[in-house]
Parts: sequence; C-alpha cells; structure tokens
Amino acid sequence: MPTESKVAKLSDISKIIKDGDTVAIGGSWLGSHPMAVIREIIRQKIKNLTAITVVGSIDIDLLIGAGCLSRLMFSFVSMEAFGLAPNFRRAIEKEGLPYDEITGLAVIIGLEAGGRNVPFLPYRGPFGSDLVKFRPEFYKEIKCPFTGEDLIAAAAIVPDVAIIHATRADNTGNVQIDGTSGTDVEMMRAAKKRIVSVEEIVSPEEIRRNPAKTKIPGFQVDMVIEAPLGAHPCSCAPDYVFDPWHIMKYMQAAMSPETFQQYIDEYVMKPEFEYLEAIGGMKQAAILRRLAREVKFL
Amino acid sequence: MTQYAKDYSVGELMCVALAREIDDGDVVVLGSFTPLAYASYILAKITHAPNSTLLAYAAVDFKPFQLSFIRAESSATRGAACIWTMLEDLNSVHLKGRGDVEAISSIQADGYGNINLSAVGEYDSPKLRGPGGAGAPEVIKMHRKMIGYFPNHSKMTFVPKVDVITGTRYVIGAEERIKAGYRPGPIRYITNLAVISKEEKDKPFKIDSLHSGVSAEQVVENTGFELEVPKDIPETEKPTKEQVRLLREEVDPYGTMAFDFKPGKERLGYLNEILQKELEAIGYA
Repeated sequence: MPTESKVAKLSDISKIIKDGDTVAIGGSWLGSHPMAVIREIIRQKIKNLTAITVVGSIDIDLLIGAGCLSRLMFSFVSMEAFGLAPNFRRAIEKEGLPYDEITGLAVIIGLEAGGRNVPFLPYRGPFGSDLVKFRPEFYKEIKCPFTGEDLIAAAAIVPDVAIIHATRADNTGNVQIDGTSGTDVEMMRAAKKRIVSVEEIVSPEEIRRNPAKTKIPGFQVDMVIEAPLGAHPCSCAPDYVFDPWHIMKYMQAAMSPETFQQYIDEYVMKPEFEYLEAIGGMKQAAILRRLAREVKFL
Repeated sequence: MTQYAKDYSVGELMCVALAREIDDGDVVVLGSFTPLAYASYILAKITHAPNSTLLAYAAVDFKPFQLSFIRAESSATRGAACIWTMLEDLNSVHLKGRGDVEAISSIQADGYGNINLSAVGEYDSPKLRGPGGAGAPEVIKMHRKMIGYFPNHSKMTFVPKVDVITGTRYVIGAEERIKAGYRPGPIRYITNLAVISKEEKDKPFKIDSLHSGVSAEQVVENTGFELEVPKDIPETEKPTKEQVRLLREEVDPYGTMAFDFKPGKERLGYLNEILQKELEAIGYA
C-alpha cells in the first residue's frame, strides 16, 4: 500500500499548473466544479491556459472573466436557468477569444482515447454537424476497416493537467465521489498531471471500508487538497446544493467588466477561508446542506 | 370516461404532451436542468409509464421526486439505483441507440431536423453566442425519438435554415434509420401553439395537432419553414383533471415549470419567489 502523502495546500497548485497549460476542468452544469482551485488559479494569476470542459458554467465564465484563458474547448457553457454565461459570451462575441466547440460525446470519447493512449476512437458521430466541418483537427470521417461503415474518429485529448472536486480522498489520493462525477474519471485518466480537491481527507481505512465508491485510484492522482465547500457556488451532490443566491449576485456582477472586477476583488482575491465567510459562512453552508438533504420522493 | 381539465396553462399542456411521448418501459434521459422536461418525465413515471427508466446527472433509474429549482440534482442522486460517469452513460445508453426520449430545445430549428445552439449570425463573429449543444447534437440522432419543446413558436426560432448546424437528426425515415443501426421514430416538436412532426427526409413537417383556440394559419404564419397542413387537424389532447392536479400538487408545487414561460425581465423576480418558498418549506423563513 503506497504511503507517500500527496496532500498539499491550495497555494501549491502552481507546482503543477503552469502558464500556458491545457487544463481539463471537472464537474458538469452547476455541479462539482473545482471552484476553490479555480479561484486559486485566479489569485496566483496563472495565465494563457487552454481550458477543456464538457458542460461548464461558472468555472469557465470566471476563468474567462479573470483573463486566465487564451483558448477554450467546450461542448456547452451556460449558467443554466440563470441565463447565458456573461463573460463567455462577451469574450467570444466582442473580444475574439479563440475556441474549439466540440460536441459533448466527442469531448468525452476524445478524453477516453487520451486515457487509452490511442490517437482517436471511432463512433457513430455527429454526421451533418457543422462542428465536424469547422474543426477537422478534432473530427475525421473514416471507414470501418472491417465493415466499410462510415464512422467519425474523435481525436484523443491529452490535457497537461486535470482538476476535479470530489467527496473524499485519503492522503495517497484514492478518490471517492458520492454524487455527480461528470467526466472527472476520464479526465483524470487522460491527463499528464492531476489535482483533486475534496470535501474531506479521510483515513485509508475509511476508503477501504467502501472500495466500490472509489472512482479514481491513488496512482492516478498527483495532488490532494482539502477544500470543504470547495465546489461553491456549485453543488457537490448529494451533500450540498448550488447556491442560487450567490449565482444571482455573480450574474449581476458579470454584466459588465467593471462590476465583474469588483466581484473578483471582493470574493476571489482573498484567502479561501475569507471567501467562505464572504458568501455567508457556516450559516449559508448549513442552508445549502439542508436543502440537499430535504428532498421529497413521490 | 376521461375528465379533461378546463383550467390549465399552455405550459401544463406542453408538459402533458411531452409526458405522453414517453411509453411505459422507455429509457428517458435528462441533460441540462429544464423544469418542463423534468416535470413531464416525472409525471409520466407516476402515471402511465411506471416502468420507464429515468436518467439525470449521474443518477440512473432515480425515484420520481418533487421538482424544485435547487434540489433536482440531489433528489436524483439520493433516489438513484445506480450512479454512472458520463462515459458509462453514453456507452450504455446513447451509443447503442438504447435511449428513447431526451427532450431538447434550441435557439433555432429548421425543417430539415437541424438544431442550432451555437451561434446566431456568422459562426466566427456571432450576434449571439449560444451555450453550445452539450450532448444534444448527437443524441437527437441516436435516440428512438427526437423530441423538441419550444415555448415560443415563432419565425425567430423556426427558421428556413439554421445559421449553424450544431446537430441534426441525420437519418430520418424508418428504413434509413434501421439501416444505420438506429430505431425508427419521429422528429416531433411540441410548441406553445401546436405539435408538429416529421418522419420522412424528403417530406416537410406536418401539423399533428393544434392547441385549443389556435388556427392552422396562425401556426403557418409563425413558422419559417414549409409545413404540411392536413385538411382535418385534431385538437391537441388536453391535460386531464388528474394530470393537472398531480402537476400542481405533487410534481411541481413550487411552479418551477412556469419559469420557461416568463419573459426575460420577470425571471429573476419569479426565481426569487420560488427560492423563498423552497426555504420556507425546509423551515427557513
């Protein structure tokens, strides 16, 4: 059993994430994005990143607004019912942020190809989609070597770094995810280096009591950071829900670059524990946890 | 004898029409959080389709739950029979063509079965950059049916040709679908005016039914592509009294579904109202 501890502080992420890296960001929709690490990227002013997301939201919007990205690969970026992502829209409509819009399955299958160490994987892909035509570096129409059937090859995606947020891990990086895992497992397999932030670091014995919950083994993890409420303002199901009140505040702030800068100063450019205070502290955390528990089945 | 409701909203009518697309035993998938689709699926599951399997987020075969603006994910997760990653999901359902319904919406749609969630205007310098399609561009081909819902049936949405083809049904006719390894099924759009569908590549969308009080001319006038207008078009089946009761009292007592029908500037206020009710329900005032 490995014993070397991979536990680090948020401020250590710059040992792994460098300017110019391609970074796959876990989570999906408004769920389980590694927001504490995202905020730390902004604090440390790590720049010129290429972000990869399958279904992104405030994680991507925040990185774009803070000027950390020089390119974006995505299948979807939206604040869901709260509206379109303001910085994402502004960057593409007005500021010419370079981007690769790839269909959702192609990103997932591309990451799987990266994890399998093959240059592509075939599937019955999105024939007829303009995205196939626009991004030939990610799609090729091919013939099955056995049957002659037309297929689409999704190019392998190999990120420099994957960052995800999970429920718990032990100090050697065995990661358990109780709820939504999005494409986190595939990202971690595909990436060259991997950072996981978790709600809680637990003992190796506790992990071994429920091995079926372990989605990522320690040898696929390079750094473990304890970050309670580290997905906020996103959810970490089934423990807490996303924070609609904070997201509304964010949406308001992101309407203009000036007010957005105030948001960055007020919430992001301070230590993470002060962020948690600024969003309402233990009281707000208790509400978000209670909402996640109190569900009603029919 | 079925008792139809007299008092219902167009949202409830659309929700029930979408629920009726789900057959018992179907595998039904949810992507982004769309209250109308959630309400439809849950209504179907607790009424005519108890053997349907519902999938949302990572949750597979989740128990039907009371809809909430904030708690859909934790409800689905806590009631799930199984938790998948996205790759397991698409390996098990999508790529094999095992899905039946995954309702989508789109910024633009045209008469060819194309959807546009990418950009209005030029792709490289758009007037409006859309969110992107997530899984929609691919699942609309793979699933048995392609079901779309459009709360605002207009020429802004139903255009002669979408500006960008984010995705397309691609294989449409029954024979063609079977040959390509997919199950046959229609393209069907449920709107605030009517239900329209397309089952052959070379034939236009046809008006299946008109909602009460809507004329065929009204639908044609608000559609930017050619429609086949049959001589006798039935009225869209109304929701039953029991369906409306279930929606209002059990499935969606907070009224999340109405959110999609609020004009942009009223949305925030309405959302705050729902959130307040949700807080009160758990004992915070």
